Amino acid sequence: MTRARIILIAVGVLGLGVGALTMVNDVEFSQIIGVGIWIVGAIVIHDAILSPILLGIDVLMRRSGRRVSLGVIVIIQVGIVVGAIMSLLVVPEIYATTLGTQNETVLPLDYGLHLALYWLATAALTAAACLVYLRIMRRRLRA
Amino acid sequence: MRFPTFPSQLYQFTQGLHITAGIACFPLILGKLYTVYPQLFQTPPIRGFGHMLARASIALFVGSSLVQLAIGLLNTYQWYPFPFNFKQVHYALAFVIIGSLAIHIGVKLPLIQRYWRRNSEATVELLGRDSNDLLDPVPESGSSPAPEVVGGFTGRLFRWIDGTPQAERGVSRRGFFAAIGVSTVAVVTFTAGQSFAVFKPFNLFAPRAKDIGPQGLPINRTAEAAQVTETAVSADWVLSVIAGGATTTFTRAELLRLPQTAVSLPIACVEGWSQLADWKGVRMRDLLAAAGAPSDQRLMVQSLEKEGGYRTTEMGAEYVGDDLTLVALELNGSTLDIQHGYPARIIAPGRPGVLQTKWLSSLEVSA
Repeated sequence: MTRARIILIAVGVLGLGVGALTMVNDVEFSQIIGVGIWIVGAIVIHDAILSPILLGIDVLMRRSGRRVSLGVIVIIQVGIVVGAIMSLLVVPEIYATTLGTQNETVLPLDYGLHLALYWLATAALTAAACLVYLRIMRRRLRA
Repeated sequence: MRFPTFPSQLYQFTQGLHITAGIACFPLILGKLYTVYPQLFQTPPIRGFGHMLARASIALFVGSSLVQLAIGLLNTYQWYPFPFNFKQVHYALAFVIIGSLAIHIGVKLPLIQRYWRRNSEATVELLGRDSNDLLDPVPESGSSPAPEVVGGFTGRLFRWIDGTPQAERGVSRRGFFAAIGVSTVAVVTFTAGQSFAVFKPFNLFAPRAKDIGPQGLPINRTAEAAQVTETAVSADWVLSVIAGGATTTFTRAELLRLPQTAVSLPIACVEGWSQLADWKGVRMRDLLAAAGAPSDQRLMVQSLEKEGGYRTTEMGAEYVGDDLTLVALELNGSTLDIQHGYPARIIAPGRPGVLQTKWLSSLEVSA
């Protein structure tokens, strides 16, 4: 395993070196600063903003766990995650359509409408999954 | 460097995979980061130099991965709100990510090995009993003897989340995998239609859609942006073939009188979208033969474009000599639209769309 670790870390250092060299050769210094700012920004947005929000939602939902079955809570959480991740991809896209595109074949669809339909379908499927889950649990209790 | 010209849809496939895999990475990386979130608040934050290096490399790994995915996605929307050049930075960051991933695996290898199998000693020890269900909720009373359990407030909070209310076995874990699995399937299903025909009916969110555009084909650079709206339709347009100091010119009518070849080839963009189309025109080899030029050399291909990084491009000998490489004059059964490169354009197998030069001006055989 020691050999495997040495190889992995050596490959890693080589990769970092090639990346840094490529960056220095191909990208202007002021732009490299911009890359650094974006990397730090990404960490801050993820670690300090998005994650605590998610954690808060998680905690709030589990507090209702005293009254609602955990299976139902988890199914609802799955639905929220499935909708939220798609929104993360599509909301910037909707914004980009408002900036105007190079030609009409870029961003040609009605993304806002599609996202609304997607949330509706996700909500409907989540509700259906909860009902199925509760029915199964009830049957199991009776058995 | 020689590029493969077979299979002719190779570039379409690799770039479709590139973009679709990138999109699939969003739920996957967020899921991965969720599982390690308590580690962020470990105390003390730094335990010596090695630990600091390990944490710094993880910060670089996470930060560059998030930036890489974000700018890649924005590039498919052709929206550039970041203060740096996309192409070079996306390329350089790829190496940084591969490097930091390798280091990360190298650092964590002993841990991975210890917990790799369900029945390994450490896994059994972590669970505190012989369990069939990894990552069961930890019982509220009685602390787990697990060696890698994260302490502090966040660690306790996560254990409370997993254990509130007392769960059926594995519900929390199943929920996690369901959330990430369904999200991944959803983002792929509803965007891959821009790249893969089988997903076309489900294309709700991709930045491009098949069959949309002039002659039913998407475009990137327009005739207006390339400033060719006058030169491309000019009556004195000719295609010049230059070889060994001699220049032979062909009008469009003369090109149409040469033997015509029909091929089915995709236009495929690095941004992931692609579309198969029917092209008709003069096979490159036939054209060079008609001009008395060799067809086993590189070509410098020049467009009418006024400016732009791809006004002049090089075509490797492997494409020049390929049976499927055309100077195309027709698309999907009618005259090439000006947005697709009228009066004549290149179409070759397995090439990036940006090198399928539109609005041809000259072809020069390189010695």
